Amino acid sequence: MREIIDAQTAAALRQFGDSASEEFYRRLKAQRLCTTRCDQCGEAAFPPRSFCPYCHSRQIHWFELPRRARLYAFTQQGRSLRFIAPEVIGLVDVEGLGRILSRIDAPLEGLRIGQELEVAFQELTPEIWVHHYRPVN
Amino acid sequence: MKRAAIVGASAIPVARSLSKSVRDTASEVCLAAIADAGLEPKEIDGLFVSPPGLSRPGGFMWSCTLSHHLGLRTRAQAMVECGGMTAALAFKLAAQEVALGRCRFALALGVDVRADEDAEDFEHFLKGMTTALLGLYGPYDGVFGLAAPIPYYAMSAQRYLHEHRLSREDLAEVCVALRRFAAENPRAQHRKPISVKDVLEAPPVSPPLGLLDCSSFASGAAAVVVAEESWAKEAKRPSARVRAVGEAHEPAHFAPLKGPISRFESASRAAAEAYAEAGIRPRDVDVAEVYGVFSATELILYEDLGFFERGASAAAVRDGRTSGSGGTVFNPSGGRLSLGHPAGATPLYSMVELLEQLRGGCGKRQVKDAAVGLLHAEHGMLNGSLVAILEAAP
Repeated sequence: MREIIDAQTAAALRQFGDSASEEFYRRLKAQRLCTTRCDQCGEAAFPPRSFCPYCHSRQIHWFELPRRARLYAFTQQGRSLRFIAPEVIGLVDVEGLGRILSRIDAPLEGLRIGQELEVAFQELTPEIWVHHYRPVN
Repeated sequence: MKRAAIVGASAIPVARSLSKSVRDTASEVCLAAIADAGLEPKEIDGLFVSPPGLSRPGGFMWSCTLSHHLGLRTRAQAMVECGGMTAALAFKLAAQEVALGRCRFALALGVDVRADEDAEDFEHFLKGMTTALLGLYGPYDGVFGLAAPIPYYAMSAQRYLHEHRLSREDLAEVCVALRRFAAENPRAQHRKPISVKDVLEAPPVSPPLGLLDCSSFASGAAAVVVAEESWAKEAKRPSARVRAVGEAHEPAHFAPLKGPISRFESASRAAAEAYAEAGIRPRDVDVAEVYGVFSATELILYEDLGFFERGASAAAVRDGRTSGSGGTVFNPSGGRLSLGHPAGATPLYSMVELLEQLRGGCGKRQVKDAAVGLLHAEHGMLNGSLVAILEAAP
């Protein structure tokens, strides 16, 4: 079952992705969580784009997100296609960027809005790594 | 531009599964809506449909197979899709074609059927599911294994409670109020009365939302017929004239990068446009059918649509001010939580309820002297909304 999900996830990432998502996952594999910023207007985008979604300049560069972030909201899902349930999911506030969805690698019970988190990385398959966040102790 | 009016409607009871095939079900509600308008099928010259199940493949050329099956010779037809707003857009296209004078009698259909969990070939099912969910939630959120949009709405609920110092009891009250209406609606999926205690003690789904805070898996079909207002008048058909349609979409998919998730900009934008076009204020609305798929979303929408101050919906619900003791009545159908939520058809279920309310035929759940109705529909955590204002005619 895991093999099917892994193979299908890789295929779906190609089918629904783009050049920026390919680069995003290449960098995640190297344990770097990155996105793009516009050289012209200075806005950071998430998800990353090969152009700026605000001023539509094609002059963009990649940068690494700060390692720390704050928990904006969190919940868990009782069923998950990939992870052991229940699975904690959160929206993480990254300074200078905005809020991104992530797994939270901690039990739901100890979490609170506004607490400080740090990014970590998890291997799903040798090719697909994902970021997740853990509370800073 | 001509003025459009809804002149006929039909919907089957909402249930977990359809009792007949999608084609039989769709044909049945289309023909019933046409009959309700006092028309013959051969008079229909426009057909706008949802896919034959939002989460089902196989919708290719569905408007064509359906017009063939029904024997409809049209001047315009199409299948449209925009998540939960789908059936509202089928209606909008029907109304636009009538307003432009291209169609005399345009039919809008929404149908949905739950995904088949008991697929015989599990491997095939799992492959399809993995691909579909990654396609829906995208290459970034999708890899986290989201199986439903519930976590997004749960986090919206958590922020709403946090920012306004409200509790799960406040959410439970609206579930109870909607169930009370559904008890009087033969089309509703859930009609058994519930208490605040039932809601609080229901199994958790995604905290703070429990099972009864969420709309359940549902199937259903609904259709409406749109005609020129002048025809409705001459033919003396009890109808609802379309006074305004507002629509707004944000450049976001599920959780927005910036901006709050305890309120929804698209709903406010679409509503402001619709109120301005109709020349009315929220307090002029007698009955509203809004797209509250979760308990917190329901409360947030009352505020986004301009009926209450931020955080004040819960008190209004508790005092009965949303269910008939004064002011606008919300979701007398039972709403998404109790009428049920077959997503591909949901906005047309709302429209069927509004037409029946404006005609005055809703029995025990009838809103007294209902003359102005509001419909709200949305897609993908309120990143887009459509608001229509309807008025009883004659």
